[in-house]
Amino acid sequence: MSSQLVPATAPVSNRLRAYFAPVNRTTGTPTLFDPAQQGAFSLDTPPAPWIDLGWTSNFTRKSASKIAPLGTGAPAIVQTQVRSEVEATLSLDFESWGKLQLAVAAGSEQLNLLVTATGTNPNGSGGTAATAVPITLSGSSATALNVGSASSTFNLGDIVAVDLDYTSQTGYVGSGVAAAYVTSSPAVAADINYIRRVTLNVGRVTAIASGVLTLGSPLIAGAPIAGMQISRVTGFCDREGGSFFQEWSALFVFDGQQGDRILYHYPRLQPLQGASEIAAPLIATATGLAAPLERMRLAAAFRALPVTDANDSAQVLCFRSYLPGPMRSL
Amino acid sequence: MQDARDSFFVALRTRLASINPERTIVLRGQVRPGVLVEENELPTAFQPTDAFTLHWTAMTVDASSPLPLVAMECQINYATDGTSGNGGMDRGRLLGAMDGELTAALVTETQSAIKKNFSGVAGTGAPAVTMSTNIFWSTPRFAPVKTSGERLERTAVVEVFAYQEAGEL
Repeated sequence: MSSQLVPATAPVSNRLRAYFAPVNRTTGTPTLFDPAQQGAFSLDTPPAPWIDLGWTSNFTRKSASKIAPLGTGAPAIVQTQVRSEVEATLSLDFESWGKLQLAVAAGSEQLNLLVTATGTNPNGSGGTAATAVPITLSGSSATALNVGSASSTFNLGDIVAVDLDYTSQTGYVGSGVAAAYVTSSPAVAADINYIRRVTLNVGRVTAIASGVLTLGSPLIAGAPIAGMQISRVTGFCDREGGSFFQEWSALFVFDGQQGDRILYHYPRLQPLQGASEIAAPLIATATGLAAPLERMRLAAAFRALPVTDANDSAQVLCFRSYLPGPMRSL
Repeated sequence: MQDARDSFFVALRTRLASINPERTIVLRGQVRPGVLVEENELPTAFQPTDAFTLHWTAMTVDASSPLPLVAMECQINYATDGTSGNGGMDRGRLLGAMDGELTAALVTETQSAIKKNFSGVAGTGAPAVTMSTNIFWSTPRFAPVKTSGERLERTAVVEVFAYQEAGEL
């Protein structure tokens, strides 16, 4: 490669990748991404604990921060400027549907549709769940669940929710990520399966052998702990309404074709709208055959909340980092 | 611009050879991967089958960028007669396989490659010189299949982009 500097060009790419990480709601601690240490990561292998939510489209970020003039004298003359309000929002469409994409776009709690017990009454977010299956911690890990002889009740491809029984806990519940906020036991009908109903600690069974369920991807909370049980899940459900706000740390990567990269890091994002989706026609073909078909993309909008930058104690909403391509003029 | 064309050809050839090593063509007595650039070969009206032939057609230059951005259109023609052992009845499947190989080569991996200067390679065996920028390309557009006798033909069009570096011809 030449040692001569090359004029820097505007980054070019055709899509943007999204990564999310948990926020500890109890302590209010977000997951911070350090672009100086981790910025050049491979898009397919993000650093822990960031989770790949795939490609996005229509990424739009808006700054609602206001700068106002400060005048003195008569007549008033602007002497300086002040930042009177700091606010930022962003919106995007997810190109993939999955548990986490649905959850962050849900606007409120997102529930797992637990397989119901026989003969239960119908309910909009799923009826009374079937009895959960206990886990033997020995031989279990974030990708393996030792259930012993109960493995015969599972099938390849099953979705499972893994979490604690509900035993009158209040506050944030859900292992790995706060999935809901419980105000009182009666509010959730003291349902023993309530935490598994809302947890984001889910996986899909890709192998069953010797009493162990192997999952296709690691559980978000890591290896199971004592008291966790398994409920089978048929799908996911979100609702219009509810007072719980999801909160996640987010990272968006725009990978330029010239080796340059833009990173948008929002340490704290909360949903700005209820669950919604965008219907768009599939790619038009020369024959027009695809015209009646539509693709449903998950539409998400978020409001950024502030964190304190340890370097200078500034309250900030978003860090935009630019990693120039090799030997580009600066 | 020649560097960009050469780099695109080599990147495509490398990827196609990796995807299907058995797709080869005998050209001037040499067995080569089944992809060639029409303008680099002897003029002929012969359309090779079961191979990809690149034709460089339209070109534009965007001078508003700090480096001139060159956009070149590459037509990729390919055709098949099917196999004689099957009486040509597998020609649809073979064309579909070529569609898939080309899609995989152009889209499944990254849609970019390092630009290299190959001018000193011929005759000397010297390695290509790595340039300072990357080439990149659009998602291919596939034209409808044409039937010519028993032959099935298709053309895919790709826009190849490259920044013209200082001193580069």
